[in-house]
Amino acid sequence: MSLSVIAVISRFLEEYRSSTSNKLKVIDAYLLYILLTGAFQFLYCLLVGTFPFNSFLSGFISSVGSFILAVCLRIQINPQNKGDFLSVSPERAFADFLFAHTVLHLVVVNFIG
Amino acid sequence: MFLIDGETGRGQASLTPALARYDWLSRRVRGYVPVSADVVQGRKMAMDGSAMRGIRKRGLVMSPSLSAGFSSSVLFVLSAALLLQVVSGDGKTLVLLDNPNIRDTHSIFFRSLADRGFDLTFKTADDPSLSLIKYGQFLYDHLIIFSPSVEDFGGNINVETITAFIDGGGNVLVAASSDIGDPLRELGSECGIEFDEEKTAVIDHHNFDVSDPGEHTLIVADPENLLKAPTIVGKPTEKPILFKGVGMVADPDNPLVLDILTGSSTSYSYFPDRPITQYPHAVGKNTLLIAGLQARNNARVVFSGSLHFFSDAFFNSPVQKATPGSKRFPQTGNQELAEALSRWVFKEAGVLRVGAVTHHPVGESTPPAAYTITDLVEYSIVIEMLSEGRWVPFDGDDIQLEFVRIDPFVRTYLKKNGGKYSVQFKLPDVYGVFQFKVDYNRLGYTHLYSSTQVSVRPLQHTQYERFIPSAYPYYASVFSMMAGLFIFSVVFLHMKEKEKSD
Repeated sequence: MSLSVIAVISRFLEEYRSSTSNKLKVIDAYLLYILLTGAFQFLYCLLVGTFPFNSFLSGFISSVGSFILAVCLRIQINPQNKGDFLSVSPERAFADFLFAHTVLHLVVVNFIG
Repeated sequence: MFLIDGETGRGQASLTPALARYDWLSRRVRGYVPVSADVVQGRKMAMDGSAMRGIRKRGLVMSPSLSAGFSSSVLFVLSAALLLQVVSGDGKTLVLLDNPNIRDTHSIFFRSLADRGFDLTFKTADDPSLSLIKYGQFLYDHLIIFSPSVEDFGGNINVETITAFIDGGGNVLVAASSDIGDPLRELGSECGIEFDEEKTAVIDHHNFDVSDPGEHTLIVADPENLLKAPTIVGKPTEKPILFKGVGMVADPDNPLVLDILTGSSTSYSYFPDRPITQYPHAVGKNTLLIAGLQARNNARVVFSGSLHFFSDAFFNSPVQKATPGSKRFPQTGNQELAEALSRWVFKEAGVLRVGAVTHHPVGESTPPAAYTITDLVEYSIVIEMLSEGRWVPFDGDDIQLEFVRIDPFVRTYLKKNGGKYSVQFKLPDVYGVFQFKVDYNRLGYTHLYSSTQVSVRPLQHTQYERFIPSAYPYYASVFSMMAGLFIFSVVFLHMKEKEKSD
């Protein structure tokens, strides 16, 4: 049982390394960074308590929001999904990504107190 | 709304009359007299006279005067409907007597009243020209009824008008005796006091005077049986009190009746010339010799079971109990007690009023339009007491301030601070519309109630705490997200695809 899990994982990693483009790998690295930051904030809140709850929320939501926006960018850029996004060019996707981030950060900084 | 004129302490009131069915108006209805111009909110006095005097009537079954019960309440409504009572002026007192001799036999008492500035008008009780109220205004401030045996008051006076007089803020001193008539018994029951029947007397076989003619009705009352309230009964003395008259019982549920002088535990009230065939009306310490009432509008009524108590003979007589070995006192304490009672009942003693009420944040001198939560606030109030005709600062150590929004959030003692009482405290972390309430109700003093309304607002958007140390990780993560975004965009946009054909 465990042998097959390890086999699946190693096969998956091999496929990933060979068949994903660099752009997507950069996005994935960025995603990992956001994930770690968000997880760290959540753990900190569990340990220390929710005192400035608005600060916790705004920090956590900034991580979650960035993650979501980066995932959307990854989906829209991936050439394999081109059929679903005929009217959205990669440049348009990136522009949307930046605009949404502007709004997100404005809200986050207002709410962080 | 009841208002008391700040200058003279007299009251004026406007009543909304109601029929006397009010089981729900219990003693929990608090007093309602805003006594200074600074009070922003008083309470509307929508209670009728019976609740004012603390008595309860259940249906029509009340007291022996029940035949007059229903018609009297109708009459009361009709007369009350005409009343816009204003009791103001200076010491005008109507004295009702059984016969003109009483003026002479009680000359010391009346002279002491006249010396204190009261304007006494002596009339017999069935004088047809008697009138308490004319064109909606009371003609007198105080009423003394020294006519125990009256069967029918003359002129415009009857039990309903006297009750309306009390409800309008007038003070009454009533003295009864063993020949008590029905009107006085009815007046007593209007105020929560039940007199015993005509021809009964208070009898005490262990505490009668040596000069008692034989029926043991000339009672010697010890000063220990006096109410512990120097405002009402004066300074404590050793001198016993002579009493000869009818006994009273008060409803123990009535919170407004005061047992000023009770009989000893061996006293009882019955017909002195008949053998006892039923349980006496009053027994032991329940026998009230002198009772008082301070109504919710601060009108004061004192009922004395004995007219002889106020007489010159009793003031000057020596007193000694007829038990062997008892001490002989050359003079009774009647005169001092009568004087103290007359001071209390005619509002010369034990009268309080509220002066200026101020509140402001600590460090400033004027109140803001609205306080903010968790502000530090200082509240001060001036309370004055009437003493020898002048208003002097009151000295009390147990006045409390409540900060109330439906329920009290803060309750604290007020400390004397110069000429006023003040306290500093922190507003609660709750916003809303609050009231500073001072509600002071002490034995023998008028009820003091002052209520000032303020708003407390939540923090403005810019008044919250900033740069909280325990939130630094969150601040760091947000800025790191922004930095990460920036770096990612730079890398992403300048990247060249290495493998295009895969």
